[in-house]
Amino acid sequence: MFFKFVIRRVLFSIPTIVGIVTVAFLLGKLIPGDPAVAALGLDLDGASTVSQEELERVRTELGLDRPVIVQYMSWFGDALQGDLGRSSVNRESVTALILRAFPNTMFLLLTTISTAALIGISLGVFSALHRGKSADLVARLVTIIGVSTPPFWLALVLILVFAFNLNLFPMNGSVAEHGWIALVLPTASIALQPAALIARMSRSSMLEVLSQDMIRTATAKGLSRWRIILRHGLPNALSPVITVIGFQFANLMGGAVAIEVLFGMPGLGSLLINAIFENDLKVIQGVVVIVGITFAVTNLAVDLLYSVIDPRIKL
Amino acid sequence: MTISSTAAAVDQSTSPSLRSRFAKNFARFLSSPLNCFSLGLTTLLFLLALLAPVIAPYPYEQINPANSLSPPTWEHIMGTDQVGRDIFSRVLYGARISLSMAVMTIFVGLASGVFVGAVSGYLGGVADEVIMRVVEIFMSIPGIILALALVAVLGPSPLFIVLALSIRRITQFARVTRGAVLGVKALDYVAACRVIGMSNVRILFFHVLPNCIGPIIVLATVLMGNVILLESTLSFLGLGIQEPTPSWGTMIAAGNELLTFAPWLSLFPGGFLFLTMLAFNLLGDGVRDHLDPRGASVI
Repeated sequence: MFFKFVIRRVLFSIPTIVGIVTVAFLLGKLIPGDPAVAALGLDLDGASTVSQEELERVRTELGLDRPVIVQYMSWFGDALQGDLGRSSVNRESVTALILRAFPNTMFLLLTTISTAALIGISLGVFSALHRGKSADLVARLVTIIGVSTPPFWLALVLILVFAFNLNLFPMNGSVAEHGWIALVLPTASIALQPAALIARMSRSSMLEVLSQDMIRTATAKGLSRWRIILRHGLPNALSPVITVIGFQFANLMGGAVAIEVLFGMPGLGSLLINAIFENDLKVIQGVVVIVGITFAVTNLAVDLLYSVIDPRIKL
Repeated sequence: MTISSTAAAVDQSTSPSLRSRFAKNFARFLSSPLNCFSLGLTTLLFLLALLAPVIAPYPYEQINPANSLSPPTWEHIMGTDQVGRDIFSRVLYGARISLSMAVMTIFVGLASGVFVGAVSGYLGGVADEVIMRVVEIFMSIPGIILALALVAVLGPSPLFIVLALSIRRITQFARVTRGAVLGVKALDYVAACRVIGMSNVRILFFHVLPNCIGPIIVLATVLMGNVILLESTLSFLGLGIQEPTPSWGTMIAAGNELLTFAPWLSLFPGGFLFLTMLAFNLLGDGVRDHLDPRGASVI
């Protein structure tokens, strides 16, 4: 039964992935001017500096002389085999570049989302248990401030205070250079927003569960407060929270871009921004594909996890 | 008889009491002090942006190398930048950019998204299936990455930035509108409209959509803070509005280079960005609680 559900859900995500690869292809077709000029890493003004033969050579090499549909099929076929083309800047394979950057980004994101989930759920449950009291108000205030703080600005403030003035953490986020401690400031800067959203969802979900009859029954049975909260309250409140966590994880891939650039971390975000400033189209397309697929896989994982932890979900 | 009179009643009931209903609703919204605060703050921010030319003590592009990197003083309450431009004036003009870009983005996203979602939900069937699949694809690429890639390809002109930021909004509005239309479409009065021979276009745009306005307004308010952050992130990364036009993101990025030496360069624009997001997030929360008390967070 579960196996069948998994297969169906996996098949369901295929059209999305096909769509993402298509969007990345169309991105290349949106470039104004001659794509061959762009592929040489030149802007429109630079077009006159290359010879006609050189342009022809690039066109043939990139297959730009073939019909668009053929170009699409070949891009798609290559992408299926894990070949996303070559960087126009240093001729390196885009797949290799991405594979090198991907673990760095994933590591940052996993640290961040675990921190955010831990803080968010604790704060949300705490807030729900003290509903309406001043502790709840403070927790909600922290939440709204957390949602409203621009991560890249928070990062600057943290660098100024903790790296420069107090000298507690390094200014750049290179794990290779400084060890794990380098991850503290980047993680703190992007964890605040998801933590706040997770806290908010945990609070409302927990409040809903706490108002149910079974909690009253459990209290009447004389169970301890903590047992009620941890054994009966929290597990039932967790499903919507996990959706938010999954969604925030996917969102973080976007949020991490500015943070990676700011802390000089060699992840997908830095790769993307460098590619943009060097007009390296293939790398841009590659990052869009990989981020989109990661997003789709995360959604898939959340759906499966959802069905595992919440028995009410019918397979 | 009953069906056609229901439909006729529907046709008329919307207009006469609408204004007083709105006024009552608005008064109820303002009965919460937090809503008053957030509405006041957002209004103030819009006023500051609108009146920037009047309030700003200096022209935003006026350089004064003799007084570069001055810390906050009485002449320059937020200090000056590397070429002696007044930070306060630039922050005020930055508010114009942030707010106008956000409003335009929401407008484009709302107009197109509501249309797409309404048609998708109302038609149902294959059309709905196809449209929702496309929406899902665009939902799978994080907003900032899609926007960055589009701006990188099209170029950082204000028009393209708004376009790049709205694509994901379109999908968000389409989803919410579709859901609301699906609910309303099943109601009896819609069947009544059909029975008296109203065209589908008329039913959808005059009778179904007006009843879906709640979640759409909620989404528009909640997304404001989000879009403002996205726009600033784009400019922070150097792909937003270009110099010399001041934008908060660009100012924060410029201050980054001199962070330890002249922190006011990035602290003040960032503070304003924070305040703006806080105001819109609070307002969005208030509007959501007011119009859709059981609704979950849409962000």
